[in-house]
Amino acid sequence: MARTISFKEAINEALDQEMTRDPSVIVMGEDSIGGTGSPGEDDAWGGPMGVTKGLYGKHGNRIMDTPLSESAYVGAAIGAAACGMRPVAELMFIDFLGVCFDQIYNQAAKFRYMFGGKAETPVVIRTMVGAGINAAAQHSQMLTAIFTHIPGLKIVCPSNPHDAKGLLIQSIRDNDPVIFCEHKSLYGVEDEVSEESYVIPFAEANVMRDGGDATIVAYGMMVGKAMDAAKNLAKEGVECDVIDLRTLSPIDMETVLESVENTGRLVVVDESNPRCSIASDVSAQVAQQAFKSLKAQIEMVTAPHTPVPFTTSLEDLYIPSAEQVADSVRKTFN
Amino acid sequence: MSINPSAISVGIVANPVSARDIRRVIANATSLQVSDRANIVMRVLAAMRACGVQRVLMMPENGGIRSLLKRALQREQGLGENSFPELEMTNTQISGTVADTFAATKAMLDSGVKAIVVLGGDGTHRAVVKICEQVPITGISTGTNNAFPEHREPTITGLAVGMVATGRIPEGVAFAPNKLLRVDINGGERSDIALVDIVVSTERYIGARALWRTENLRELFVTFSDPEVIGMSAIAGLLKPIGRNDSGGLYVSLAVPEQAKTVLQVPIAPGLIRTVGVQSWQQLEAGIPVILKQSSGMIALDGERELEFGPEDTVQVTLHEKAFRTVNVGACMRYTGEHRLLVGATLDIPIS
Amino acid sequence: MNENMFPLSRDELLQVYQTMRTIREFEERVHVEFSRGDIPGFVHLYAGEEASAAGIMTHLRQHDHIASTHRGHGHCIAKGVDVKGMMAEIFGKKSGVCGGKGGSMHIADLDKGMMGANGILGAGAPLACGAALAAKFRDNGDIAISFVGDGASNQGTFLESLNLASIWNLPVVFVVENNGYAESTSVDWAVACDSYVDRASGFGMPGVTVDGTDFFAVYEAAGEIIRRAREGGGPSLLECKMIRFFGHFEGDAQTYRASGEVDDIRANQDCLKSFSKTVTASGVLSQADLEACDTEVLSLIEEAVSSAKAAELPTEADLLTDVYVNY
Repeated sequence: MARTISFKEAINEALDQEMTRDPSVIVMGEDSIGGTGSPGEDDAWGGPMGVTKGLYGKHGNRIMDTPLSESAYVGAAIGAAACGMRPVAELMFIDFLGVCFDQIYNQAAKFRYMFGGKAETPVVIRTMVGAGINAAAQHSQMLTAIFTHIPGLKIVCPSNPHDAKGLLIQSIRDNDPVIFCEHKSLYGVEDEVSEESYVIPFAEANVMRDGGDATIVAYGMMVGKAMDAAKNLAKEGVECDVIDLRTLSPIDMETVLESVENTGRLVVVDESNPRCSIASDVSAQVAQQAFKSLKAQIEMVTAPHTPVPFTTSLEDLYIPSAEQVADSVRKTFN
Repeated sequence: MSINPSAISVGIVANPVSARDIRRVIANATSLQVSDRANIVMRVLAAMRACGVQRVLMMPENGGIRSLLKRALQREQGLGENSFPELEMTNTQISGTVADTFAATKAMLDSGVKAIVVLGGDGTHRAVVKICEQVPITGISTGTNNAFPEHREPTITGLAVGMVATGRIPEGVAFAPNKLLRVDINGGERSDIALVDIVVSTERYIGARALWRTENLRELFVTFSDPEVIGMSAIAGLLKPIGRNDSGGLYVSLAVPEQAKTVLQVPIAPGLIRTVGVQSWQQLEAGIPVILKQSSGMIALDGERELEFGPEDTVQVTLHEKAFRTVNVGACMRYTGEHRLLVGATLDIPIS
Repeated sequence: MNENMFPLSRDELLQVYQTMRTIREFEERVHVEFSRGDIPGFVHLYAGEEASAAGIMTHLRQHDHIASTHRGHGHCIAKGVDVKGMMAEIFGKKSGVCGGKGGSMHIADLDKGMMGANGILGAGAPLACGAALAAKFRDNGDIAISFVGDGASNQGTFLESLNLASIWNLPVVFVVENNGYAESTSVDWAVACDSYVDRASGFGMPGVTVDGTDFFAVYEAAGEIIRRAREGGGPSLLECKMIRFFGHFEGDAQTYRASGEVDDIRANQDCLKSFSKTVTASGVLSQADLEACDTEVLSLIEEAVSSAKAAELPTEADLLTDVYVNY
C-alpha cells in the first residue's frame, strides 16, 4: 500500500522497520533522541531535523544520544560493526567529516582489505548534505566526492522519498560501510512510498525520463533541477534522458554509457564544487569509454569553486539552477 | 646560583606517584592531581618564607610537581613577589622508585636541613624515616590511607615548620617523639620498618601491593591505634585505642571471619568497609621482640606488601619508642598564638 | 619449598613465561631479519614490554576484544594470534594472517578478538569503545581493552573515548603503555598534566599506575580492573610504566636516549629476568622448566621465519580482492 509521506518520514520508517526486524541494528547521534539527561521531555528532538523522532518510544535503549564527540562515537559505531552489530550513526552534517574522518576512511574503509578479507564492517553513517537553507559555508557542502574517492566505502544519495526508504534499508542490510547522504532541502518533499519494507539495490541508476536527444546525469537535489530543465527543453523540441545515479559508489556507469551511446550528448549536474567532483569523475569515465559516441563536448553544471555563501541571493546563485542545466544542454547543440 | 650555605633550609620530599594504586578501583580512593600536589607545596613554601626560611631543598622527580612549581614560581617572580624561598633540587638520581626518596633524604641530611616536610602516603613517610635520623619530619597526606601524617591545612604545617626551623619554638614544644615497628628476618638478613602497622597475610606475592582481602590477614602490629584513622591500624583502633604519645602498641591476632571469635567491620581503605576476623589482642611492649605465629606468608608494611617469608625463616617484630621526631604542629601553633610570635608587619630574619 | 604461592597455577605460570618469551624472541628475531633487509615497510618492536601484554591478556577470553597500537606484535601474540601467520604477514606473504595485505602495522585477527594493530595512533580507542558497546548490548560479560602509548594518549580520539566510555558506562579498559618516549620526544615534555591517572580523574573514571615491568603487579591490578568492567562497574585507566628495548621503529638510531640507557635497562629492568627470578626462587618452576620452554620457543620462531621466507607472495589477483564484501 503506497501513501504520500515526506522524505524524512520515509527515512524514519526505514530505520523503524529495520530496527524492528533486526535486533543488531542500533542508532546513535547527537540529539538523535534529544533530551538525554535533561529534565524535560524524552525524545525532545528526534534528531536536529526530527528525522529520528518516535524511535526512542518504540525501540528504547537501541537508539542513543551521543556527546559532541564524533571521533569517539563514529569510531565506536565502526568498532561495534566490526564485532557484528549493525550500527547506524549520524554524522549530523557532512561538513563535520573533518573531526572523525580517520575512523571512516582509514579504519572502517580499510579493515576488510588490510585484514586479508577477515573483517566485515556493516556500519551506516547517515549525514546531511547540501545547500538551500542559508546554513552557510560550514553546514551546506556536498562532499560526496571525498568519500567516493576512498576504496572500501559506499556512498548513497537518494533524490526522493521512495528511493530514500529503499536505499536506506539496503544500506543497513549491506555488509560494507555506507555513507548515506540525506539532502537537507529535500526533507519536506512528499511522494508516494510503499508501507512495506523494500530494498533498492546499489549501482542501479534510475532512468527518470527517456528522451533520446541528450543525457542529463544528476543525483540528490539536482535530479529535480534536471527534470525541470528537461521539461523546459521539451518545449523547444529537445527530449532528454534524465538519469538519477542514486549511488555514487558503486556507480552504475552502464546505464549512463548506454544512454550516451544513444544520445551522444552529456550534461552532468552536481551540487558540489567542480574540481575532483562526481561530475568530473562521470565526465572522465564517459570520455574514456564512450568517446566515439560523443557528438559534442561534455558539459558539467556545478557550484562554483567557492565556499557556500550565506545570503539568499548569493546562495541561489551558488546552487545550480534548472536554467543553467538547460543552457548547458543547449550548448551541446551549438 | 649560589645560596648562602648557612641560610636556614628545610627539605621537602613530595611524591608524585602516591595515591595511584589499585585502591582507586577496589575501594573509593581518590587520586590527587599532580597540580594539587604542586599547589600544596606552594602553600607550604609561602608559609615558610613568611617565617624567614630562605632556602628549600626538594627531591627532584619527573612526575610533574617540579615542572609545575617552576612555572608557578617564575610567574610569582614575574609579578615582583618575593614571598617564596629559593627552591633547589637535591643533586640526586631520578629513577622513579623509592631509591630517589632515600637519596634525596640523605642529601638533605648532609646539607643540614632543619626539618623535612613530606608529601605522600604512609609509604613515602616510611622511606624518609629510614634515612632522616634525628632530623624531624612533618607529614602532609597526599597518599591513599594517610594513617601516619595528620590531616591538616598545609599552610599551617608550613608555618609551624617555618617557626621551628627559624628557632622560635623551644625544643620541648616543637617536637614529638614517635614509635616505630621493626621487622627482622633471620636475625637481620632482611629487615625493615613501619611507622603505623605491620600486617602478616597468607598471600605470598607482592603483586599490586595493597591489601584488601581481609580473610587472608593473620597478625597485626600497630604503633598506635586511632579509631579516626582508616587502614589496617583501624582494626586495632576499633578494639583498643592507643595514642601516638601513649606507651606501647597493640598486637592483634586475626583469622578468617567464619572461624574467628569476634568479627569486626573495619574501614580498611577510603570508602571500603570490610569484615575482619579477630581472635585476640594484647598490649605490645617496646623493646620486646615478638616472633610471628604465621609460618609463611607476606609481611605488609604500612599497608603495602613488601617481604615474603617461608617456613625456613625466623621473623620477629619489635616496637621501638622515641625512634624519630616529628614536628608537633598543633603544639607549635598554640605556642605561636599564646606568645604572639606572628604579631608585627614582618618577621625579623634570624642570623643563625 | 615447592609450594605455589602465586595467584596462578604452575601450568598457568609456565604459560605466562612462554607467552612473554615468545614475544621477546619474536621481536628480537624480527629485529635481526629487518636489519638484513628482508622485511618490507615499518616495524615497531615490543621487546621489553612483555609483562604488560601478558599481565593483561592472561585475564581475557577469546571474545574480549583488544585494539592495539602500531607496536602491536606483543598484544597479538598474547591474545593468541598465530605466530607463524604473524611472521608470514610481516614478511608480506600470502599465508600471513592478513594475506600479506596488512603488514606489521595492521596485523589483526577478529576471530581472536584482536581488532588490529593500528597505523593511526589513538584510533583504536573509539574502536574498543565500539567493541565494549556491542558487548554491553549482548550482555555477555565481555570487555574490551584499548591500548595506547604515552604519545597517543594526547590524541583527541583517546580523550574523547575516555569521555564516551564514562558517560555510557562501557566495559572498556584503557591501558596506557608509558615507555617514556613518544617517538623521540619524552613524556615529561608532551603530557601537560604529567599524569595519565589525572586524565582519568578528569573524565570521571579511576586511574591506576603499576610497574609495567612486574608481571605480577600488572596481573593483579589488571585483574581487579577487568573484573570490575565485566561486572558493570564501567571503564578504568591503567598506566603501565615500562621501557622499550628497541627504537620507535626499526632504523631509529635512538640518539634521543641517554648513553648506556638501553644497556642498563636490558640488564636491570628486564621483565623476563625478574619473572624468572621470582618463580624459580619460590620453586614453583625450575630453571630447567624455563630453559625447556626457551628451546621450544626458539624452535617455533625459527620455524615461523623459515616458513615465512619460503612462503609465496600474494598474486596479482589478490590486489583487487576484499575491498568490499560485495560491490
